[in-house]
Amino acid sequence: MLSDSALLFIVLAPGLAALIAGGFKVYIGDRGAMVVTTGTVLLAGLLSLFQLFRFTFAAGHGDGEAIHTALTTHGPHIITLMSWIDVGAFQADWAIRVDALSIVMMAVITSVSGLVHLYSWGYMSEDPHRARFFAYLSLFTFAMLMLVTADNFIQLFFGWEGVGLASYLLIGFWFTKTAPNDASIKAFVTNRVGDFGLALGIMAVFLVFGTVEFAPVLEAIRTNAELVPLALAAPGTARDVIVPFLGHDLPALELIGILLFIGAMGKSAQFFLHVWLPDAMEGPTPVSALIHAATMVTAGVYLVCLMSPIYEYAPVAAGLITLTGAVTAIYAATVGMAQNDIKRVIAYSTCSQLGYMFFAAGVGAYEAAMFHLFTHAFFKALLFLGAGSVIHGCHHEQDMRRMGGIARFMPLTYAAMLIGTIAIIGLGLPFTSLGFSGFFSKDAIIESAFSASLVGVRFADLAFWLGLTAALLTSFYSWRLIYMTFHGPRAEHDTHHEGSAQVEEEDHGHAHGSEPHESPLVMLVPLGVLALGAMFAGVLFYDPMFHHGDAFWGEALYRSADNHVIHDIDKLKYDASYAWVFWAPLVVTLIGFALATFTYLFNRGIGHRIAQTGGPLHSLFANKWYFDEIYQATLIRGSRWLGDMFWKVGDKQLIDGLGPDGVTGLVRWGSRRLSAMHSGYLYHYAFVIIGAALIFGAVLFWRVGGAG
Amino acid sequence: MEFPILSTVTFLPLAGAVLIMLIQSLTGRQPDQAEGPDDRVLYAGLVFSVATFLVSLVMFFAVQVEVPGYQLVEDVSWFAGIHYRMGVDGLSVALILLTTFLTPIALFASLGSIRQRLTEYVVAFLVLETFMIGVFCALDLVVFYIFFEAGLIPMFIIIGVWGGADRIYASFKFFLYTLLGSLFMLAAIVYMYLTAGTSDIVALEQFAFDPKAQTWLFLAFFASFAVKLPMWPVHTWLPDAHVQAPTAGSVILAGVLLKMGGYGLLRFSLPMFPDASLLFQPLVFTLSVIAIVYASLVAWRQTDMKKLIAYSSVAHMGFVTLGIFSFNEVGVQGAVFQMLSHGLISGALFLIVGIVYDRMHTREIAAYGGLANRMPIYATLFMLFTMANVGLPGTSGFVGEILTMTGAFQASTWAAAGAALGVIFSAVYMLTLYRRTVFGTITNPALEQIQDMTAKELFCIVPLAAGTILFGVMPNLIFDVTRESSLRVLSLMAGG
Repeated sequence: MLSDSALLFIVLAPGLAALIAGGFKVYIGDRGAMVVTTGTVLLAGLLSLFQLFRFTFAAGHGDGEAIHTALTTHGPHIITLMSWIDVGAFQADWAIRVDALSIVMMAVITSVSGLVHLYSWGYMSEDPHRARFFAYLSLFTFAMLMLVTADNFIQLFFGWEGVGLASYLLIGFWFTKTAPNDASIKAFVTNRVGDFGLALGIMAVFLVFGTVEFAPVLEAIRTNAELVPLALAAPGTARDVIVPFLGHDLPALELIGILLFIGAMGKSAQFFLHVWLPDAMEGPTPVSALIHAATMVTAGVYLVCLMSPIYEYAPVAAGLITLTGAVTAIYAATVGMAQNDIKRVIAYSTCSQLGYMFFAAGVGAYEAAMFHLFTHAFFKALLFLGAGSVIHGCHHEQDMRRMGGIARFMPLTYAAMLIGTIAIIGLGLPFTSLGFSGFFSKDAIIESAFSASLVGVRFADLAFWLGLTAALLTSFYSWRLIYMTFHGPRAEHDTHHEGSAQVEEEDHGHAHGSEPHESPLVMLVPLGVLALGAMFAGVLFYDPMFHHGDAFWGEALYRSADNHVIHDIDKLKYDASYAWVFWAPLVVTLIGFALATFTYLFNRGIGHRIAQTGGPLHSLFANKWYFDEIYQATLIRGSRWLGDMFWKVGDKQLIDGLGPDGVTGLVRWGSRRLSAMHSGYLYHYAFVIIGAALIFGAVLFWRVGGAG
Repeated sequence: MEFPILSTVTFLPLAGAVLIMLIQSLTGRQPDQAEGPDDRVLYAGLVFSVATFLVSLVMFFAVQVEVPGYQLVEDVSWFAGIHYRMGVDGLSVALILLTTFLTPIALFASLGSIRQRLTEYVVAFLVLETFMIGVFCALDLVVFYIFFEAGLIPMFIIIGVWGGADRIYASFKFFLYTLLGSLFMLAAIVYMYLTAGTSDIVALEQFAFDPKAQTWLFLAFFASFAVKLPMWPVHTWLPDAHVQAPTAGSVILAGVLLKMGGYGLLRFSLPMFPDASLLFQPLVFTLSVIAIVYASLVAWRQTDMKKLIAYSSVAHMGFVTLGIFSFNEVGVQGAVFQMLSHGLISGALFLIVGIVYDRMHTREIAAYGGLANRMPIYATLFMLFTMANVGLPGTSGFVGEILTMTGAFQASTWAAAGAALGVIFSAVYMLTLYRRTVFGTITNPALEQIQDMTAKELFCIVPLAAGTILFGVMPNLIFDVTRESSLRVLSLMAGG
């Protein structure tokens, strides 16, 4: 752990840098803005990495040891900046919380962000709005750091929506184009649907626990303390409180768990709420690497792990997470096989990998989820930045069908992409320490699911089999990407490409026609650093983060007394009858590799023919299972119709028609009838006067007569 | 007797109005001369409204907000047991500051855009300010009623004289709705005066009305406040009034006038009719949730920028009623905060629309698009208020929404869940609006030469932007002021 001032710097300085870059561009220029933001975030990244390494490896030597013990035994270190909301029991501070979880997240966020900043120097070099771009990047970094260092739900929500804002701004960065604008709104609104759940979850937490701070809530669940909810619910022990919600009586922890998970589904693009992530690829590629692969989309996983005490005692909610994660893993993998846009393939791959993390958390292997989050950040960022390098080199071409054979033009990018691919498919030798990052973390997840299925954890068996199948598909689509992009003959140049090449050429200022070119050094260095992460993050951190995770995570991750999922894996390892579990991932990976090699390298025509003749399965995958169409036809058209009805029928016809317009109409009608009597003809008036006199006379006569 | 600072704050604008008219008639300058309006009139109005703001600041520092109850009380016997009685607590202080803060901004924003009858325009605003402040200071039912109703007249004139093409229809609709509500309230006030023998608000707070009578009294007051807020289904005057009103009129209407409804509920309905309030909680919750969802969906379908923001106001005021009727500290404090925050945000949004309206003379969304290419500063500030309006944490919009929903959750999970739906829809309509006007390419050739914000416009908007962020990050600045009065409302309600 660093000194408080260093921690303050890590979290707050990116926000300040964003302000400077965004607000003072006039004075410091584009380059000034770039220097300020990149320098700040890189420095924060170095500090955070230093902190992570010291926290992880200094155990046993003095200082580091003391820090480690302090954090793991006395709970998180909290720096309170000031009170934010102070209303009765509703107390939320601006604070920085440091524990194992936030140390890992800080390291991931700032290091990847720093590299993405650097990379953008090259990638965005021709963009006229660079200062704005870098300001948004730093703003994102700040919001994400606030999210992971929150010590209460409200600051978490601040970061949660803050990264949503940054994501919205960056997806729609090229604001004159239609597609990015549509995608940015879709992302924000879909996330809001998730936030609907998250917000209700926070309200439920406040209702049950009477506070929105993490520490007392989690502590109450760990110790199963007696609770007196603020209203609606009867007092009881923390794990048994029943809350009425929308007419149903639900166990409080299940309710909170499910609501919070809905938020996580939105942010982490899980099944049903995943639709925004592929479209988010409309943003600049460095953004996709940072926000839509390495950091923001993992916030949901982080939230579930942070709330591990809740899910330990909410089996239904945990089961829902397992199911959703497993389905997402396989769903996204199927769609990823049939996409032709290089970025969309990686986007679906992200979606799928997030599914892995969720079902790991769902079965109770939070260590595995966090470990995969950690390694995934490096190799997925590497893949995205590599794809960006390809796109940059191919003059903003993203369709893999128009690529092919570019390995010889960009050997370094090719090498980086290869490393990323080997990492994501999880190549490694079981029972040894030989393997790339993905091998350690993904196999850990699959093994955890298996071990959980043995003790009957909900949906764990399903997750194991779906996870295994998805691993096959992962290998297939990852190699498909490599072969379609880098191998084979150069694709024919069609008119589209020729047309745009002219423009791009001017953009780039390079004079080598439409031939692809290797990216500049400033883009290659981040690729190199990330490649190191993709290769070694797994082997370095397998023991501390996963195998001996208890000591590393301390109180940050909680397991109930009867959750032995991870410990059981060790037992399985020494049981020969379960050896197949450990070999299975490698086998399916090799099958996927063989299939892809056969289809896309040796017989390049086959892939094309599949796409041509297709069949229902291919069109289902290529059209993303028709989610967009279904949502468009039901939710969007439905609410549009409802809005029109409320406006034109509700407001105009009913309320105004019966209300003011109706009343004025009635008055107008009445007065017209009255004024019609004032015709101006003397005999009309005479008739009325005489008639009235007669009536009055009659009444008078009758009254008088009656009296007499 | 101490210096009557409340009366000073209240009547300073009125004095200014009288003075401006006197000078105008003494110097014999006729309005609408060939050389156009005399801007000095507007500056004179500005001087008085800024002076009022300064005096209200003095008043703010004279009040000890941590002490419950009314302070700076002035009491002069008037007639028949009715007193001219003024006094403030934290709630009124906050709303008075909002009023005195927004009025100079609204006046200054009118500079250059109002071309006729400028003197009368300035006078109308100053008179309106007096009545608005009076509403928040009055400690006597009759005095309250007079200020409350009198405020109608200048706003009616502002819309009817300086409004858009369909201003007569809009101003009559506005007048009819609000007057109708007020008539019920007048009847209720007469009944209360006769029953309790006093029109003193402090005494009435302690007076226990018969529960049956409470029901009728509550409904009578509610009729008036619901129209003012406005709540569904008596909200249809608001979109018309906003669309037709001049920019400054919309700012004051959305910023302050709507808050009188929420203030009334907190000052009268809850403390004086606690049983009836409890009785009608489900009804108010239902109406609030309908308002939030319904108005948000309608807002999405609008083609007129001002109408969209007007409907968004209806939705946001739904959160206020939701919070007030949750009857707990979180909800009530959230509602008060939401009122103040909405005053800043909706005021700013109407100014934002007014800025492009002044240049293009249309409020049709379709006429815009691609403004970011020509007006980067405008686009930035518009984005800020868009995000504030959708309740992004870090802006003041968030604090009010999350607290009112959290408060309501404790009373009814249905209400909270319904309101949370509105949070989704608010993102839909605001982002759609922003995207259609600011993003994209310029398709309307008339926009090619459009100017970015002028210094005058920045001067109007930047204080609101600063407030939105400041109160979003440090909302305790407001909670510390309103805490005791909110708690007092709740304790009065509980029979304290």
